[in-house]
Amino acid sequence: MGKKKTTESVAVRLTAADRTFNVIINTIMGILLFIIALPLWSTITLSFRPADFIGTYIEGMFMAPWNWSFDAYKSLLGNNGFLLAFTNSLKILVYGVAVALLLTIPIAYGLSIKDLRGKKFLTIYIIIPYVFNVGIVPTYILIAKAGLTNNLASVFLPTCISTYNCLIMRSFFEGIPGELRESASIDGCSEFQTLVKIMLPLSKAIIMTIGLYYGVQFWNDYFRPMLYLTKDYLRPLPILLRNILLAAGMNEFVEANAFGNAPVEAIKAASVFMSAIPMVIAYPFIQKYFTKGTLAGSVKG
Amino acid sequence: MKSKDYFTKLGKDLNRQKSIYLLLFIPIVVYFIFKYIPIWNAQIAFRNFKSVRYGILGSTWVGLDNFKEFVNSYYFWTLIRNTLMYSFGKIIFSLPLSIMLAIAIYECRVKWLRKTVQTLSYLPHFLSWVIMYGIILSLFSPSDGIVNDIIKMTGGKAVDFLTNAKAFPWLVIFSDAWKEMGWSAIIFIAALMGIDVSLFEAAMVEGANSWQRVKYITLPAIRPVIVTVLLLKLGTIFEAGFGQIFMLYSPAVYSVGDIIDTWVYRQGLLDGRFGLATAAGLFKGFIGMLLLFASNYFSKKVSESSLF
Repeated sequence: MGKKKTTESVAVRLTAADRTFNVIINTIMGILLFIIALPLWSTITLSFRPADFIGTYIEGMFMAPWNWSFDAYKSLLGNNGFLLAFTNSLKILVYGVAVALLLTIPIAYGLSIKDLRGKKFLTIYIIIPYVFNVGIVPTYILIAKAGLTNNLASVFLPTCISTYNCLIMRSFFEGIPGELRESASIDGCSEFQTLVKIMLPLSKAIIMTIGLYYGVQFWNDYFRPMLYLTKDYLRPLPILLRNILLAAGMNEFVEANAFGNAPVEAIKAASVFMSAIPMVIAYPFIQKYFTKGTLAGSVKG
Repeated sequence: MKSKDYFTKLGKDLNRQKSIYLLLFIPIVVYFIFKYIPIWNAQIAFRNFKSVRYGILGSTWVGLDNFKEFVNSYYFWTLIRNTLMYSFGKIIFSLPLSIMLAIAIYECRVKWLRKTVQTLSYLPHFLSWVIMYGIILSLFSPSDGIVNDIIKMTGGKAVDFLTNAKAFPWLVIFSDAWKEMGWSAIIFIAALMGIDVSLFEAAMVEGANSWQRVKYITLPAIRPVIVTVLLLKLGTIFEAGFGQIFMLYSPAVYSVGDIIDTWVYRQGLLDGRFGLATAAGLFKGFIGMLLLFASNYFSKKVSESSLF
């Protein structure tokens, strides 16, 4: 940001109006930080609340870390149902992202080839279902008739080619200088070889970004698993979490003593936190690609 | 002569591009199965479809009966009103909030504050609505939530925000604003980064202060982006946020919480009224399509950028 340097170099010339401005901006930032952080902090501290905790919620938020209890996490990690749900979610995530990328990249690449025969057809072909959304019932009937119910693939297959992601990736590919492709094709590369040898190594940012979009979508999806995965052993994390959260007070989980002696509220908060963990861990690694990848093609100019 | 040239070129192109067609074959088939067969299935909106077992073509054709039933039913206007209330409410509250966040991040001179706010504000976008529901519970739960703690401390009576018809719409709108604020700000931050530095230098030489800088340089610079984002949002005005509302609502707030999508789910997949639910879905899909075309057209006109 070049602008920052400019303002700092003339910092001596700050007028009263500028100073008020800075104070107001910093206050707004402080309030925003509070608004964004408070819900996260309150959930995290709730998950560490010991069973014998007495006091108000706000006191719980400022409890000293040495009084934190890990009982909720211990019971979750020692619970087979939780581990199974976690494994199911991981499977959906890994298979889903792999399939989605393998299917999205060719379409995006095809769309980015200037003189591809049938390009217009391909564009219209992927845009029609995006523009005309027929709702959930027709897809539900398809999955039921195809016998995909109670198959983990039913969670990711219906949404593994997203028109929006194809178009973003297309814009990124189009931004790679055409000379590179031309020289590859002069050297005798087929389009496939050009894709694998020239385009993909240059497109790490967009592949990471789109992979993240798909990953977030599959990991977070609770609706499709709820519709299509009716067997208990196929339940992914969001469904388990939903059941835990919706079961108020004494419920099947606590009654069966499945989660040990941690307080119900702490178990709920801990499972919220555990479900968010893969996203929270992956996030900083991929964050640096956001601006590069997202903005390259978010809105096509 | 000309057509012969055309075919030679066609043959040449096809030969060179055959590997890409091979590569495209599987994605095109998968896309056909999961996107085009549902469009074919959508004809049950015109049929009296009872169960998957009898098949689609095996059920009787009833014309527009399902559509008539949906449009004439007493919940029709409630569903439309709720759907529009949520999508407009989200635009009205979230859009200014994300613009303000973007400007604040851009103008903030305190580095740690800038970095922390920016990083933390993106994060909620990646959390699912199930997780959000857990977080909302920890804030608004009637028995043990921070908001009710404060109400009780000031002598008030605990409110169950999630089952209160007055509070529920605000909870939906503001939880969405909280979750998506940072993510929606990215596009504005990017536009701000693109401002020509020499503009600021010139302003500085002319003696403009920070307020004038924001008013005459920063805001005008992101105005076209704001218009584009607004237009594209108006194109999806019938998408009120199924994943969110389905997770948060309960029978106590159906009157203010039910949107077209949630109603379609209950009618179609819980009560087995497939035809009626699909008709409602098609109704929404058709209007959504017109809106999307319109918003795309205007966005192309205004700012030369569009979705497709």
